[in-house]
Formats: sequence, structure tokens, C-alpha cells
Amino acid sequence: MTTDTLDVRSLANQAYKYGFVTDIEADEAPPGLDESTVAFISAKKGEPEWLLEWRLKAFRAWLKMTPPDWAKLKIAPIDYQASTYYSAPKKKDGPKSLDEVDPELLATYEKLGIPLGERARLAGIAVDAVFDSVSVATTFRAQLAELGIIFCSFGEAVREHPDLVRQYLGSVVPQGDNFFAALNSAVFSDGSFAYIPPGVHCPMELSTYFRINAANSGQFERTLLIADKGARVSYLEGCTAPQRDENQLHAAVVELVALEDANIKYSTVQNWYPGDAEGRGGIYNFVTKRGACRGANSKISWTQVETGSAITWKYPSCILEGDNSIGEFYSVAITNNLQQADTGTKMIHLGRNTSSTIISKGISAGRGQNTYRGLVKIMPKAQGARNYTQCDSLLIGDKCGAHTVPYIEVRNPSARVEHEATTSKISEDQMFYCLQRGLTSEDALSLIVNGFCKEVLKELPMEFAVEAQKLLAVSLEGSVG
Amino acid sequence: MVTTKPFLETFDTVHAGEPDWLLQRRRSALARFGELGLPTRRQENWRFTNLRPLEKQEFAPGDSVSVAATAIAPYLVEGAGHRIVLVNGRFDSGLSKLDGLPAGVLLASVKAIVSNDVPGFFLLGPQIFGEGTEEAKQPFLALNTGAALDGFALGIPAGTKIERPIEIVHIADAASPLSVNSRSAILAGEDTKASIIETFIGTGEYWQNAVLRVQVAARAELHHVTIQDHGSEAIHTGSTTIHLAEKSRYNSFNLTVGGRLARQDVYLAMSGADATCAVDGAYLLRGSQEATMATLIDHQAPGCKTREVFKGVVEEQAHGVFQGKIQVRQAAQKTDAHQLNKNLLLGERAIVDTKPELEIFADDVKCSHGATVGDLDEAAMFYLRARGIPEKQARNMLVEAFAADAIDLVEDLRLQQHLRRHLDRWLAGRPS
Amino acid sequence: MLEIKNLHARLKDGREILKGIDLTVNAGEVHAIMGPNGSGKSTLAGVLAGRDGYEITEGSVTYQGKDLLDLSADERAREGVFLAFQYPVEIPGVNNMYFLRAALNAVRRQRGEPELDAGQFLKAVRAKLKLLDIGEDLLQRAVNVGFSGGEKKRNEIFQMAMLEPKLAILDETDSGLDIDALRVVAHGVNNMRSPERAAVMITHYQRLLDYVEPDVVHVLSHGRIVRSGDKSLAAELECKGYAFLDDVA
Ligand SMILES: Nc1ncnc2c1ncn2[C@@H]1O[C@H](COP(=O)(O)OP(=O)(O)OP(=O)(O)O)[C@@H](O)[C@H]1O
Ligand SMILES: [Mg+2]
Repeated sequence: MTTDTLDVRSLANQAYKYGFVTDIEADEAPPGLDESTVAFISAKKGEPEWLLEWRLKAFRAWLKMTPPDWAKLKIAPIDYQASTYYSAPKKKDGPKSLDEVDPELLATYEKLGIPLGERARLAGIAVDAVFDSVSVATTFRAQLAELGIIFCSFGEAVREHPDLVRQYLGSVVPQGDNFFAALNSAVFSDGSFAYIPPGVHCPMELSTYFRINAANSGQFERTLLIADKGARVSYLEGCTAPQRDENQLHAAVVELVALEDANIKYSTVQNWYPGDAEGRGGIYNFVTKRGACRGANSKISWTQVETGSAITWKYPSCILEGDNSIGEFYSVAITNNLQQADTGTKMIHLGRNTSSTIISKGISAGRGQNTYRGLVKIMPKAQGARNYTQCDSLLIGDKCGAHTVPYIEVRNPSARVEHEATTSKISEDQMFYCLQRGLTSEDALSLIVNGFCKEVLKELPMEFAVEAQKLLAVSLEGSVG
Repeated sequence: MVTTKPFLETFDTVHAGEPDWLLQRRRSALARFGELGLPTRRQENWRFTNLRPLEKQEFAPGDSVSVAATAIAPYLVEGAGHRIVLVNGRFDSGLSKLDGLPAGVLLASVKAIVSNDVPGFFLLGPQIFGEGTEEAKQPFLALNTGAALDGFALGIPAGTKIERPIEIVHIADAASPLSVNSRSAILAGEDTKASIIETFIGTGEYWQNAVLRVQVAARAELHHVTIQDHGSEAIHTGSTTIHLAEKSRYNSFNLTVGGRLARQDVYLAMSGADATCAVDGAYLLRGSQEATMATLIDHQAPGCKTREVFKGVVEEQAHGVFQGKIQVRQAAQKTDAHQLNKNLLLGERAIVDTKPELEIFADDVKCSHGATVGDLDEAAMFYLRARGIPEKQARNMLVEAFAADAIDLVEDLRLQQHLRRHLDRWLAGRPS
Repeated sequence: MLEIKNLHARLKDGREILKGIDLTVNAGEVHAIMGPNGSGKSTLAGVLAGRDGYEITEGSVTYQGKDLLDLSADERAREGVFLAFQYPVEIPGVNNMYFLRAALNAVRRQRGEPELDAGQFLKAVRAKLKLLDIGEDLLQRAVNVGFSGGEKKRNEIFQMAMLEPKLAILDETDSGLDIDALRVVAHGVNNMRSPERAAVMITHYQRLLDYVEPDVVHVLSHGRIVRSGDKSLAAELECKGYAFLDDVA
């Protein structure tokens, strides 16, 4: 394909579809971060003493830490004192049903196409919507409660199920785990909590949509999901953010715990605002996601489609402690324009006959930089451990970059670890074939990219798969070359 | 702990008679080493390499000693035509064999070159000891600049083809702990062809720190085999820098079997278009050996082809490390680069760490890497045993096949056969 | 020569594949085993040859008066048990000739015969190659690597001819062969027939049995031998398929 037949850069660059600002009177903490900010947040949420102490411990650890510098990311220094660490929609006694939810909020979700209320019910999704930091509506609670499933905002879990929260909070991602996790542990505002009791198979996909709204408000969600013995759950997390000119900080922590025979599937579509074509604005997304397969025969599967954010720093990981436990990581990451992503996973094999699979598809376009970074570590006791890793990178345009940085550390001779990676340009033959059959170059690209990502996309729950495919196409608009 | 002290103390006597520019280079390089100190595992590039043996011990500069011809005889390549032997890092004219080279070919001791004993090559010295960009970061390179007494230099004038392999033997003989710094260079002119094989051997407790710079000019073809078969108490650090000009071909193979701690760094810059390289090797480790192979292949120009295959066999409590990075710069369109690292992990307490890496800034490329770590293939083992071959023999056959598969990539058959003999020797010592 | 009694075997995951096999093969006999896909034929062959991954939960296998299950895979091979694999294994880097010589000498040592040197070995190889119509170039390559399906099967028969086993177990050696190759294979097996030797042929097709006439035909289904008979049983299967087994099983 030559540039004559296909001058793609001239194709219109569709503006970010979800760029609008909701006008809501925010209840904000003053900008800046010290122990009193932490105390303010904790007080605002009416937290017990132990949690305040826990936050302060994290904060003190954070003060001694420096941001990680090993990722292939160029990040302008972040002034953590300039951010606001708490922002909640004004509370009018709290909504008891959907009718009581601020109509403007609902309208926002509608624009985003979030299936809430009736639509949620139709779609069979229980939604715990997080709007800037505080959970505002939860549906299907009653239905889930009948099965003993707890699905609520993090704040509510602290009030209603303090023992569970206390037992598991920080048990997978300790407060001082890394710079961003420590920051989150100190100032997390809200998030989701789910507990699936022994033997229960959660009958519907649990879902949370995150939004970042107020200007300069960092968002620090915290998700804690526990699948007790023999439980099964599939959790969807999606996010879109309104357009902003300044970079917004997002540092979330997700902790998953799978006990014996439990099975957790965690799917993410991340579509935060990526910044404009010149790299102005966009979300800084520093996320610590980790799951512990504590029990024998447990399984944790991460699937992510990362199309948004200016910066993505994210390594959903599995600690395979239980014998025969399984960890999976399926990822699609797209970087276009000036986006940078450094993402991948860690599979830590501790138990016998543990196995892990990593499938990563990176797509770089424009001046985007995309790095897969992964660790597969087989510890001495992990007799018979297995790992298979496949990382493919696709390059679209000659100004982008694709990097693959796997670490493989094997300390048990009965282990078998295989890693394969390829990097290539989008196939001219395939493009030509599609064009020759009458597809537009954008459609052809979208078709080929979707094919490239198929192994990952097929892991997504149906509801998400369609959205994800559309997102891939939107993210790559204006990039064929 | 390795410090500059012993090198500074002996500086005036050891380097007496060297030209001023070199003395100055050495002093600033030693100062640089003093500032840098030893690399630590907190540095990303050194995270898998355990340098404790260097921290625990002082290694005095090596004395000049002589070794018997029988000490090197078992390691000589059949049919090699020309030879330089360096004993404790110093040229040994008795054991070397410099005659019979085609006209214009330079094969000499580096010391002779820097002291202007080789007419017409006075400019070569500054080139050999020139400051590379890496020296600022790489302490062993700095120390080498400061301390290396000698080495070999091979210069091949344009159009010359050298038929028989050139052989370099680095042998160390240490009665007490000592360090051997060697500094060498290969300059292959345009349209030349040559094969060179370097062998590192020795006895006693010593630290060999070898630096080699290679330049392959346009359309030249260079075959380069390195065998590191040091004694069991030796430490080896090696740094090889290679620059390839357009349409040149460079085929290398590194066999690591010796030493208790070894680290070989290779930096290869494909600076000319349409160059081809093969950077292959094998590390065969047992006991409590530690070895790291760290390569960076930097594609700077378009149309280059790279093949990198490293195979590791790691037994008992040994620790094998592969860190290989393939870098493709934006200008290096149409790069075709493939890297493969396969490891057999055969000991209950053996460890393999591998970090194959692709860093790609050009879009029209075909790059891949693969890495595996595991035991012998069970199906193959059963097949052999089902034909009556006893377990130990079957394992040996598969280990041999695994390693030989890499050695078979060596194009110069004389060097290939020589490597096979080393492999056989190593296999014969396999534990049952 | 071979006596299998109530043999039960299961996989590591606990699934029982062989559920009580009884089979006696006398010296000089050729037995055919047929049966639907997944019925356990290859499992039986693997258990007899000593492949890892099965657990014998019940039963016994006696071979020439010895407890076969007590021997390791290579000991069994040296005792004269030969398995022609359904899927011959590719072994990159191991030269076919080198491999075969190692195997032959291991077997010869066991029999108390002198090892063959390279020259003698080559002579023996050439004789058999000719017999089986196999090109010498195949032997210069790595074991089974890049061989076509038919070449792999021929190579198995060639190895059998070289090693001269007492009990040959051929697992679908006839599958995927053209008619000429089938004749070659049949020729190889027939050549081995003698009062001291026996063979068990696993096959799906009547056509092999046209060339190598079996003394007994067994049908294996769901891990058991459900029918045994003479060669007419094979013909019956060929036209009726395995469906009729449901009546008997
Ligand atoms: N190592 C193994 N792992 C998992 N399943 C196995 C294994 N070996 C055998 N099986 C299973 O055991 C059953 C019997 O397999 P087997 O290979 O013995 O069948 P077969 O009769 O030879 O079939 P075919 O005619 O297709 O060759 C099948 O269901 C097969 O999938
Ligand atoms: Mg079968």
C-alpha cells in the first residue's frame, strides 16, 4: 500500500466522543496533601479509627518513597500538592433509589451509554457507579443479597462489613507496595467491594463504571473482591472520562482474593481521556491490580482493553499460592498520538502445578509508545509450574514505538516456561486485500486490528466485547499510514 | 573489594615508557572506576549478576610468568594458521606464531603498537584505547582502560582474505589472586574475510577482564568464536563492542563453560545499511557457576538482518542468565531481527533468569524473540528409552543435541568442529 | 509370551482409561486390535512400553515370565519390546543414524552380542534400507524432524527391522500410508514373523490385515476388549462400523 492510494493522515481525527463536563457543586477537600488531608478524608467518610491509622501508615510510607522510574514512560514531574484529594457530589441525604439520584448524573451516564436503572436490568448487569470518588447508585443489591453476595461501595463495606474489610484490605497489595499504591492507600476515596460466599456462583456480571469529573481531582478508587471457597464471579470495570486540558491523576488499587476452588474473572475496558493529538491533557493512570490465588485449584483471570489515558502504568498480576491454581492475563493496549503505555503482568508461581497464560497485544500508532513488561517467576516449591506467554506488537506509522520487556526467573527445574514475542508492521497484503474488496482504509484497519486482538477480545464478556471493538476503531482513527 | 589502589601503586613501573596521551587516558579512567565502583544489583542491567566474589577479594595486577606449550596444546584449533598467546595478559612471543600472513595484515601485540614498535600503526593505539560512550557507565571498561597492559590487534587491509583461522589464546596462571586486563581490537577492512577464535583458559584464582573492539568495514565478512573455558576459580568479565558497516557480515559464537563467575557483555551496532549479523552462543554450567550473557544489538541503519540464538544448559546449583536486547532505531526500517534463548534447567537448585527484550522505534520491521526454560522434552526421552537407550545415555544425547543445535549454526566448519570437541569434553563431565 | 490380566490404568487426572484388559499373546502369533477413536488402544500400547503418565491401579502384565510393569521403558525395549509410535516423536539435533546405533548397541549389549562399529553398522543399515525401500538421506537427518507422515511410519518399521524385537506393538503404523508404503510396512512385519516372535497391530483398517494376516482380532471399546475373533471379525467391523458394539458392550 502506498500513501497515494491511501492518504490516511488526512482522514478526520474524530474528537473524543465523551468530552463534556457535568456541572455539579462539588464538596472538595482543599488542594494539597498532608496528614490532615488524610484525616479529612477519613472523617468525611465517617471511618473507624483503625482505618484512619491504616491510611496514615500508608501516607507515612508514601512520604519516604519516590515514583518508580523503571517504566518506559516520559512523565513530567507531578506536583502532588496541587491535586485535590477528595471531591464528592453534594449529598442530599443520599439516594435511596434510582429516582433519587441527581438527574444530571444520570444524564451523564446516559451520554456515556452506561446501562443503569432499567437498561441495567435489561442488560442483566448490576452497576455500582462511581462518580468522582463516591458511589452513588447500586442496583440489584437485593437480588444479590439473597444469595449472600455483598456488592456495595467500599465506604459502605467499611460500615457494614468491617471484619471482612479488615481481614482482606491490604492483604494482596500492602500499603507500602509501591509509590502509587501507598498514595492510594492513604487517600482512597471510594470504590467497590464484593464478597461471594462459599459455593455461590454469582448469577450476573458485576460492574463498575468510573468517571473522573471535577477538574484537578485525582481519583483514587479501591476495589476489594473476595471469592470464598468454590465461588465464581465475573467483574466488569469500564471507564470513560470527560475531556480536560490538565492532566488528571488516577491511582487505583484493585485487590482480588480467590480461596480454594474459587474463580474470578476481572475484565476492564479503560477509555480514560487520552489527551489531544498534541498530547495536551489526558489522564495519568497508575494502577496496582493484583490477585491472590490463595486456595488450591483457584483461578484468576484478568482481561484488559486499554485504549485511553495519556499515561498507563498498570500490571494486573497473579500470585499463585494454591496448588494447581491458574493465572491468566489477556491484554490489548493501544497507544495513538502521544499516548504512552507501560503495561503487562506478573505471574508469581508459588504452589505446585500452578499454571499461567499471558496473551498481550500491543498496538502503537501515531507517536504512541507501547511497552509490554512482564515477570514470570517460578519459585523453588512450584513443582510442575507452567507458563505460556505470547506478546505481539503491531506498528502503524513510523513514529511510534513498541517494546517488549519480559523477565523470566525460574528456580524449579520441573517448570516449563515459554515466551514468544513478535513485532511487525500492519500487513500491507491484508490492507490491500480489504481495500480491493471495497472497504475503507479505516474499516480495513479496524478489521485487521480486531483480528489481531481476537484472542484477547474473545475473553471479554459479551456486553463488553462489542464496546471494546468499537473502542479499538475509535482509538485508531486517523492513524492508518 | 576491587579498588584502584593496587593499580595506582604499580602504575609508574608497569606503564613506564608509554606515551603521554595513554598515561593520561589511563589515569582518568582509573579515577572514573574509583567513582563508579562495582555495579550493584539495583542497576537494571546488573540485577541478575551476583558480583560478590569481586567484592570479597582484592586482585593484584598479574605478574609476568611463562607457561609451558603443553598448557595450551589441548585447546589449540586444528588447522589454525596464526596465533597470539597472552599469558596473564602479556604477549608471549615464544608461544605465538605470527608468520605466514598475507601481505599487509597486522597481527601484533597491543603493547607493541602503543609503544610504536610496529611501524605505520601509531594511530591504532588511540583507537584501541579510545574512549567509547559506554566507559562512563561501565566500570569494568574504565578499569580496563586504566590497567590493560596488552592484548592483540588484528588489522586486515581492504580486499584481503585470510584462509586459515587466527587463534588467540588468553591463558592465566595465578599462584595468588590476581587480575588480568586485556585490551584488543579487530579491524577488518573493506571486502575482507577472516575467521578468528579466542580461547580463555587458566589455573588458580584470577579475574580476567577482557575488552575487545571490533570494526567490520563495508562488505567484509568476519567469523568470530569465543570460548571461555577458564579454570573453576576464575572470574571473567568481558566487554566486546562491534561496529558493522554497510553490507558487512559478522558471525559470532560465544561458548561459556568455565569460571565460577562470568559476565560477557556484547554491544553490537549495525551502523551501515544491509549488514548481517549472527550473535549466537551457548552456556553450559554446573556446580555453583554463575554466568551472564548480556547483549545489545543496536539497529541504526536500514535493511539489516540479525539472528541471535543462545542456548543454556544449567545443572546442579548453577545460575545462568541471558539478557538480550534488540533495539531498532527509527532509521532502521526493514530490519529483520530474531532472537531466541532456550534453556535446559536440569538441577533441583539450578536457576535460570532470562530477559529477552525488544525495543522498536521503526515500523517496517520483522522482529521476534522467544525464550524457553524447562527440562528435557519428555516425549523425546520416552522415544529414546522405548528404543532401549538407558536413561543417562538418553539424557546425554538430548543435552548434546540441544547444545549442538546452537553450535551447528557456526558457518566456519573448522571452528564448528572445534566447538563440538569442547562440548564433548563438557558432556563427559556431566554428573550421573 | 505376553499375558495381560485385568489391567486397569488411569491418567494423572484420575480418569480411568483401561478398565480391565485381558489379553494373551503367544510366541509366533500376530494379534490385531481395533476399536473406535479414544477407546484406549494407544494407552494400552503406552502402558506396555512403559510411558509415564499412567497409573496402573489393578492387574498384571507378564512378559516372558517377567513382570513387565516392573521394568523401566528402556529395560523393556532391551528385553525385546518394540513400540512403533502412532505419532513418532521429532528429536531435533539428534542424528537418526547416531540414534539408531546407540539403540542397537544397547539392545545388543543386553543380548550379549558385540557392539557394532561404524562400518558394520552401516552395512547392516544398508541391507535393511534396501529391504524397506527407504532412502539413505533420511538417516542423515535428525530423528523424524521434517519427515512426512509416511516417512515417519517407514522409519518406525525400519527401526523395528534393525532392532529385531521379540514383541512388536505397532500403533496405527498403517495410517496415512499410500499403498506402496503399506506394502513396505506389511513386508517389514511379515519378514519379522517367526515362531519366536509376536506382534500386536493396532489398526483401523482391514487393508493392513489383507497383507498381514492376524491370528486373532480384538475389539477394544471403552477400555475393555469387547470382542475377540478371527480375521473375519475385522471384515465385519469394516462393513458394519463400531455401532454394533453397543449391542454387545
Ligand atoms: N496423556 C493424556 N492426557 C490426557 N488424555 C489422555 C492422555 N492419554 C490418553 N488420553 C485420553 O484417553 C483416551 C484414550 O486415548 P487413546 O490414545 O488410548 O485412544 P486410541 O484408542 O488410541 O484412539 P485413536 O484411535 O484415536 O488413536 C482418550 O480420551 C484420550 O483423550
Ligand atoms: Mg491411538
